[in-house]
Amino acid sequence: MRPAGRAETDSLYFDYPNFPFVRPPELDGRAVRHQVVIVGAGPVGVTAALELARHGIASVVLDDKATVNDGSRAICISRHSLEILQQLGVDAPFVAKGLGWTRGRTYFRDREIFRFEMPHSEQERFLPMINLQQQYIERFLIDKATESELVELRWQSAVTRVSQNDSGVTLEVSTPEGDYRLKCNYLLAADGARSVVRKAFGLALHGEAYEGRYVIADIRLRSDFPTERRAFFHSHALPDSTLLVHKQPDDIWRIDYQLGPEEDPHAAVEEASIRERVSLIVCEVLDEGDDWELEWWSLYKAYTLALDDYRHGRVLFIGDSAHLVPIFGVRGLNNGLADAANAGWKLAWVLKGLAPDRLLDSYSPERRGATLDVFANAGKSTRFMTPPSRGYRLMRDAALTLALDNDYASGFANPRQVTPYTYAESPLTLPDDAAFEAGPIPGAPLPNRRLGDDDYLRGHLGSGFTLLHFSRNGDVDSALAERLAALQARGQPIELLRVAREPGAEGALVDSDGGLFAAYGAESGSAYLVRPDRHVAARWKRLAPDGLELAFATALGEE
Amino acid sequence: MTHTTLPFADLERVYETLAETLDALPEAQERLFLAQLALALAHRVGDIERVMAAVEEARRGVEEAGSG
Repeated sequence: MRPAGRAETDSLYFDYPNFPFVRPPELDGRAVRHQVVIVGAGPVGVTAALELARHGIASVVLDDKATVNDGSRAICISRHSLEILQQLGVDAPFVAKGLGWTRGRTYFRDREIFRFEMPHSEQERFLPMINLQQQYIERFLIDKATESELVELRWQSAVTRVSQNDSGVTLEVSTPEGDYRLKCNYLLAADGARSVVRKAFGLALHGEAYEGRYVIADIRLRSDFPTERRAFFHSHALPDSTLLVHKQPDDIWRIDYQLGPEEDPHAAVEEASIRERVSLIVCEVLDEGDDWELEWWSLYKAYTLALDDYRHGRVLFIGDSAHLVPIFGVRGLNNGLADAANAGWKLAWVLKGLAPDRLLDSYSPERRGATLDVFANAGKSTRFMTPPSRGYRLMRDAALTLALDNDYASGFANPRQVTPYTYAESPLTLPDDAAFEAGPIPGAPLPNRRLGDDDYLRGHLGSGFTLLHFSRNGDVDSALAERLAALQARGQPIELLRVAREPGAEGALVDSDGGLFAAYGAESGSAYLVRPDRHVAARWKRLAPDGLELAFATALGEE
Repeated sequence: MTHTTLPFADLERVYETLAETLDALPEAQERLFLAQLALALAHRVGDIERVMAAVEEARRGVEEAGSG
């Protein structure tokens, strides 16, 4: 919502683009069979289109709007998401425009009781989190997609019906110039919390709704306070409300405040109520001057809801269409982007005939597993932020009171921010090699490692699978090299990336101080098989030539 | 003499269990329940100094937080 007299796209800082309707061939009676249609041109849908394009697969993206999202909404982008964006070659504008941060503070009764630092080291290319309004996130992705010949964005195109059979998916699309029928082999539903595709198939989200509502409001305020996450409990100005404050680019601040159990949410989102409450928070809690402008606001309620299966035949649900998670911990967008990366490469492999359709069955256990993990953490955070009952409220207040002077209790105020999920239980992941004492386990995302100025390990990985091989002098056992060449000869995109302790081997990364070997628990002959989404599929302390094929077949869902 | 303390993950379990136990009790019984619990835990600590320190810790928290 926006202040009276301002249109939905009349922002203090953002120029909303207007995407024209372009007449598609189907409207002129030409039936085109598309490989992939994506419903929803939000961050998740466009990320999926870019991931498919990265592997050479064309897609059509449909969206009923003519512009990007009406408000800032999801504003925190995690390091893991930035790594996904880097693979798509679109990280630069995010880093340039976003505000990076590493720390947060919790206040109780106006006293700081807890500071958290998110894990960060010089080995990382990206900060643990950047803040950026969703309009920018969408625009940067759309700009990139517009450059790609493999992504066709169709604006002002609303899906009204969806059906599928053994051979494909059919959509009915409504546009300003008439309706048409669209056919494709596979459909990605990225159409958000109120997914039309989900409803068309009669699928329901299951889970819980939490007590407590929040107003999320954006204001323009000039303040030198650094980019951090601040949480306030029992401030003297609003003793019954929990507050969250985040800084965004363009002098925009996000203020989330909890509504009391007796408050009427409809009255609370009236402009006068918003202005009154925000003014109190700015002056009394943030200790800033009352010189601010109201940009946008919305009402929010926490849910942990998910589909029972993220795959429905030829349809994969990605992002909010598959799961709704509470905002505390910033997992909505970040998990959606990981869904897009996961679904994207698997669909590309199936469509290119490099893997059986069964590979797509692994999408749901991997990504739904991530959702359930989020639920476990987000449930705790949500019960802390908005205690659902007398017992939880008393315990929360007791923990915060003890935390005033005692470090042992301050962990309760930890916001449990998003961490990438490990696909250790996935059918695509081999059991770990017990000989390892360090390094990422199978299923984990490959950790980055700084190699030099603007030079990081992840930047050297291939766009398909990568065999990361460790040796003293860059030599690879000839039998292993033959197996690798045989896979490549079958058209499988798998690249060899060698790490050597000694210089001399052409094309190998040189780990002269042994830091990379140590971080990966490697010795000469060790290897990691890395998937296109940079999760570890398997690892071996000493890779025997036979091992590779089994791991590769498992990672493609063939075993 | 070294004292063991509860790992944070276990403390979180205690937090959740207490929240749910309190919810299942009539509100009027809350104080009696918590006072009993304090004595039962003190009995198990087996060290008067540590129990008294905990009493002081909780008292100081209430004093600092004020009544509001």
